[in-house]
Amino acid sequence: MDFGDFLLKNLRQFWELTGFANAEWGNLVMLLVGLFFIWLAIKKNFEPMLLVPIGFGILIGNIPFNTSAGLEVGIYEQGSVLNILYNGVSAGWYPPLIFLGIGAMTDFSALIANPKLMLIGAAAQFGIFGAYMVALAIGFAPDQAGAIAIIGGADGPTAIFLSSKLAPNLMGAIAVSAYSYMALVPVIQPPLMRLFTTKKERLIKMKPARAVSQNEKIIFPIVGMLLTCFVVPSGLPLLGMLFFGNLLRECGVCSRLAKTASNALTDIVTILLGLTVGASTQASQFLTPQTIFIFFLGFMAFIIASSSGVFFVKLFNLVLPKEKKINPLIGNAGVSAVPMSARISNNLGLEYDPGNYLLMHAMGPNVAGVIGSAVAAGVLLGFLA
Amino acid sequence: MKKRLFLMLVAATAAFASVCAQSRSAIRLNEVMVENTPEGIADEYGAHRAWIEIFNANFAPIEISSIYITNDSTRPTLYPVPLGDVHTRIPKRQHVLFFADGEPNKGTFHTSFTLTPGQDNWIGIYDADGRTLIDEVVVPASLTAGQSWARQADGYGDWALRTGGEEDYITPSSANVIRDTNEKIQDFAERDANGWGMTVMAMCIVFSALLVLCLCFYAISKIGSLITRANKARTQSSGEHAVTARDVEHDTGEEIAAIVMALHEHLDAHDRENTILTINKVKRAYSPWSSKIYGLREIPARPTHH
Repeated sequence: MDFGDFLLKNLRQFWELTGFANAEWGNLVMLLVGLFFIWLAIKKNFEPMLLVPIGFGILIGNIPFNTSAGLEVGIYEQGSVLNILYNGVSAGWYPPLIFLGIGAMTDFSALIANPKLMLIGAAAQFGIFGAYMVALAIGFAPDQAGAIAIIGGADGPTAIFLSSKLAPNLMGAIAVSAYSYMALVPVIQPPLMRLFTTKKERLIKMKPARAVSQNEKIIFPIVGMLLTCFVVPSGLPLLGMLFFGNLLRECGVCSRLAKTASNALTDIVTILLGLTVGASTQASQFLTPQTIFIFFLGFMAFIIASSSGVFFVKLFNLVLPKEKKINPLIGNAGVSAVPMSARISNNLGLEYDPGNYLLMHAMGPNVAGVIGSAVAAGVLLGFLA
Repeated sequence: MKKRLFLMLVAATAAFASVCAQSRSAIRLNEVMVENTPEGIADEYGAHRAWIEIFNANFAPIEISSIYITNDSTRPTLYPVPLGDVHTRIPKRQHVLFFADGEPNKGTFHTSFTLTPGQDNWIGIYDADGRTLIDEVVVPASLTAGQSWARQADGYGDWALRTGGEEDYITPSSANVIRDTNEKIQDFAERDANGWGMTVMAMCIVFSALLVLCLCFYAISKIGSLITRANKARTQSSGEHAVTARDVEHDTGEEIAAIVMALHEHLDAHDRENTILTINKVKRAYSPWSSKIYGLREIPARPTHH
């Protein structure tokens, strides 16, 4: 073999390793999906903190390469850097860390001031179980149906946590679907809220919430954790971290820890979670008929969850005295897309009455939705794991 | 000093709790064969000897080196499981097999004692202290060659005879009950095919959890307002002037800002509310080096010639 052949042989081998030689149409489709996510985030400002890492992760995960070459670069190749980072998703320890940050960021005052709003957060979880029934009807097994249905909780970390336990093979599609619909909350919810409420109901003015004492704010995460985790111990990783984060925030003596949990730690985990979830959507795993069903079911779940929150308020108003009636526009906030859905309630309220600020009232069911979806995830895990 | 002692006490308690959590009490004797046959499992030398299966009933790995396995209750430290073998770390819910061949020099998993067919064989596992009995079993004398004495399920349940038939198979180094489906999911798929059962149960649980939390906070706010009212009444009865909303009603924003700044200046203190007034010194140090005037050069004017 002369030197020319030697060079040609090596160049041919190198070509076989490149993305161009290994590209399949699926990779190209997924690359376009990743670019679309990045465009949505940057140009349309749809949940950029999530969609930029996920979108770029999709690009990373869909660079074609020769899997039999043993390069140890793919997210599913044991020992690769991406695989190590992906462990936080597959073993389910990123979501509780995100919940720690959510707890440290969230002010539960609106909920403590008006505890009955918690029930709206509970009612909206019907979206999860409604989607569960539809998923079963389509033909998914109960554990897969449970993992898909949690999209209705509108809570990305919870969806990832539960799907990593119940249906790891569907996790990529479930996570992308959950985050996509969370980004589309401003598009999905307002038409439903208009459809299911009368003009008179939209004009209901709620009494301003009372001031909540520091002691109540401290007691809330402790009692909340004890009560919810005694009922659903399987939700402990999420609920425990959520309430722990909130205690750090409210206790007044751990401000450094609360600051780290709500800023640096959350940012780090969000980056890693988004990137690895995106990278896990390799075309071979993602582009399946199941993914289409998952997106359809996720859409159904969001519609059912938002509507059930609104309907529950309407029902609740039948038994409430006139001065304590709740504006059903805050019913949509029972899904835990914090604070997006609360903001939508506020905007819609202002549209019909420029003096009717619903934001603080909507924050109650919104944060109750976070607790509710974590409890629902715990219930599904308890029944199906 | 007291604080240090307290911290040490807390650390010691945490360490103790951690050790207890990882204790080896979850090690279980799971299946025993006293008289192996040529059809049975062979050791790494190809010999068919009596065996003892140990199961880790924990959901975390357990290191079993330095525990003792014995068939003589008067000599609890008869066979210490040697240190330094990676295989003595049993993964969660997994098994290891010891060959009771009386030849410990063959390897870690060969005990220094044997089991005797035709008589009751007592087997015990002792913790590293050689005193704490972790688990024990008496294998009945009625066992014949090729039969095993096993728990009905891994790690718990009664012991029963296994003859190696279709129904009572012998399972060295594997689960005593072999499952090919998840029973829970199978049950839901069969009995709750449309999901109504799950929906009703789960929604009841979610509602009850949040309802209890809701009632709890109604109660807490009631108690809180009662305490506030009692404190107020006590203050008034003691003749002190309580600060009421009316007192601060006339304070303007400027007055409040002045009070906050004065507190910051003299006490270096702020309250625990979220809105913290941060006062930073704004430096606008002037230097000719950073002055734009000196950074600009005049555009040279082209001399005009007439």
